[in-house]
Amino acid sequence: MSQLQPVGPVSADLLEEAAPVVEPKRWGPVVASVLVALAIAVLFIRVVPDGVVTTFRMAGGQGAAARVAPWVIPSRPGLVVLALFALAMAVWAYRAPRRANLALGLALLSFVGAFLIWAAAGKSLNLLAMLQSTLVRAVPLTLAALSGVMCERSGVINIAIEGMMLTAAFGAVLGTTLSGGSLWIGLLVAMLTGLLMAWVHGVLSIKYKVDQIVSGTVINILAVGLTSYLSGRFLQDPAFNWLNRAGTFAPVKIPVLNRIPVIGPLLFEGNFFFYLTIALVIGLSILLFRTRFGLRVRAVGEHPRAADTLGVNVYLMRYAAVLLGGVLAGLGGAYFTIGSVGRFDEQMTAGRGFIGLAAMIFGNWTPAGAFGASLLFGFADSLQTRLQILGIPIPSEFLLMAPYIVTIVVISGLVGRATPPAADGQPYEK
Amino acid sequence: MRRLPILTGILVAALALALAAGPAAAQTLKVGMVTDMGGVDDKSFNQGSWEGIVRAIRELGIHGRYLESQQQSDYARNILEFIEQDYDLIVTVGFLLGDATLHYAKQFPDQKFAIVDYSYDPPVENIRDILFATDEAAFLAGYLAAGMTQTGVVGTFGGIALPTVTIFMDGFEAGVKYYNQVKGTNVQVLGWNAKTEQGLFAGNFESTDDGRRLAEALMDEGADIIMPVAGPVGLGAAAAAQERGAMIIGVDSDWYLTAPEFGDVILTSVVKKMDQAVFDVIQSVADGTFTGGLYWGTLAMGAVDIAPFHEFEDDVPDWLKEELEQVRQGIISGEIDIDAILYS
Repeated sequence: MSQLQPVGPVSADLLEEAAPVVEPKRWGPVVASVLVALAIAVLFIRVVPDGVVTTFRMAGGQGAAARVAPWVIPSRPGLVVLALFALAMAVWAYRAPRRANLALGLALLSFVGAFLIWAAAGKSLNLLAMLQSTLVRAVPLTLAALSGVMCERSGVINIAIEGMMLTAAFGAVLGTTLSGGSLWIGLLVAMLTGLLMAWVHGVLSIKYKVDQIVSGTVINILAVGLTSYLSGRFLQDPAFNWLNRAGTFAPVKIPVLNRIPVIGPLLFEGNFFFYLTIALVIGLSILLFRTRFGLRVRAVGEHPRAADTLGVNVYLMRYAAVLLGGVLAGLGGAYFTIGSVGRFDEQMTAGRGFIGLAAMIFGNWTPAGAFGASLLFGFADSLQTRLQILGIPIPSEFLLMAPYIVTIVVISGLVGRATPPAADGQPYEK
Repeated sequence: MRRLPILTGILVAALALALAAGPAAAQTLKVGMVTDMGGVDDKSFNQGSWEGIVRAIRELGIHGRYLESQQQSDYARNILEFIEQDYDLIVTVGFLLGDATLHYAKQFPDQKFAIVDYSYDPPVENIRDILFATDEAAFLAGYLAAGMTQTGVVGTFGGIALPTVTIFMDGFEAGVKYYNQVKGTNVQVLGWNAKTEQGLFAGNFESTDDGRRLAEALMDEGADIIMPVAGPVGLGAAAAAQERGAMIIGVDSDWYLTAPEFGDVILTSVVKKMDQAVFDVIQSVADGTFTGGLYWGTLAMGAVDIAPFHEFEDDVPDWLKEELEQVRQGIISGEIDIDAILYS
């Protein structure tokens, strides 16, 4: 890292002398892009032998006949092109400081591409299926993050999303099997379960002004204990095994559109919950930022006393937001059972609720941002799975860290400071 | 007054956790089991070991109870709980409990322990360590998978890269390699490479959704038979296989029996008879013949094996069944050296 040292002073000098330059140069993204190019050269181009090709199959997941021929890329030339692209981005970042972040983003993207070409050199990788899996993996994270956005925008921290999702996952299975196999009733029960857990959180943290972290923790512990007990007592018992056979929503195929090569299988032939998530991201963006209700929720989260003075019922707004958040967490929970594996097992949400909270912060407390962050996590997740299958010489433990490393890099490098709602976590007392 | 709701909440949670533990009663031989994470109904080592205790309750009239560990910090607390209540034998389940068990075994030298899936070198006087030659049974599963695959690609993945997990994957890979050697075929194994010790892992033993995604990834790369070595996470793989028409090889117990809803995709299971081992140890405590040291469950003694093919009985060709029998004899007699094949 020693070559970085001169950069600071140089940029300062430039700023002082280059009076006609309107926009100050931003050296961070420029240097980072150059480093990306260097990294591609040192880590990948150097080690890939000449004449090797990388095959990206575009066959997708469902085993349908490939609609698109595989992309066969000569590994080495491909890497050289990507390294040059990263250099070009460095130049762009230098020339157009306002676009520096975008340039760095694209340079990082070329690094990911180079990584894939290197990892699959001499082998083949089903790229389309990897992208499909990215979208599905983003679904539970997005729903958890949306739940967090709703609650925290109103000023109530909700770390109980994990517990709400777990109970809702359980509720979805029971609702489905007890109603004789109706997945829609399962979905409804999951939403109601989430709502009920959120109501507990609301009563504790809004009415009784309990520390919101404590209330959330209590709900998480309660959720694990309750579902583990009921699952062990009933769902896993051979006598009641039928209770745990809920099945899943069939993949949704949108006619005509799903025939478009690559885009069709990727976007128009997917998990039911994926479409639900897209709709919710759009819907909540409108609700929060384009309606009177949304304005009030945000006002209550930023400055509850001012809102109160203007006649907004702070408690009512917070209850509404938290309950809505609970319904969203409920949908997220339903994904794990009736959207994925069709049965309930202990602690099956495995911490996704917390990663969803990270996505919420990363996405700067907006629905669209949270979705973007979840996509990035989903991509890191499905990328590391493929890398493990390709058997690249990096220990699996390190690859499993990939999503979190991506978070740290992107938050510190690209996004800048995330700002929570001003009254986040503070109980309101009249 | 303000504290009241939290207190109530904590009490309710504590009650729920307490209810999650087993029933209490009786004044006979007391056997306590501490589970690893994943719960006592994990279709895996927790459940297998507990079934041994259930059998002892039924046949020997002992008193048995379990405490579930929700996180790693629960191990020590749960072990101590049984020590304080004067249990005669404490069964700890899983590699991850190795350190905690040793710690208390040294601190309480008169307390008898048994641990599943871990062993101590040198042996400890008051711990019976139960280990299985799982690779011997997994070798059979690998040979079977290599003979049954249509795509020429089979896959496996693990929960966490622990020795008790990778031993399944070792055996599986070796079995496929042996088939390739014998038949001159080139069946590929995805998800594990014993030489580099690189493989596919979920990173946990809980997230069935991960299991589904990992299985899908393996199928995307061509695998049509998958052996998930990840406890309940593997059930997610079974759900994916059911949707996309692949076959699953279960682990630990016969999944055709423990997860009947996936019966139509379970080719076989690599079975570890933990219930038998745990029962044997309890019996030895009851007889007063308990000793510390290793209980080594092999294919020869029937402690590990592959389960019947059930619905695939007619799909597995007779020649393959005969060859599997020969392979079995080869392993038992020592003619087939699994490690030599694996690292050849």
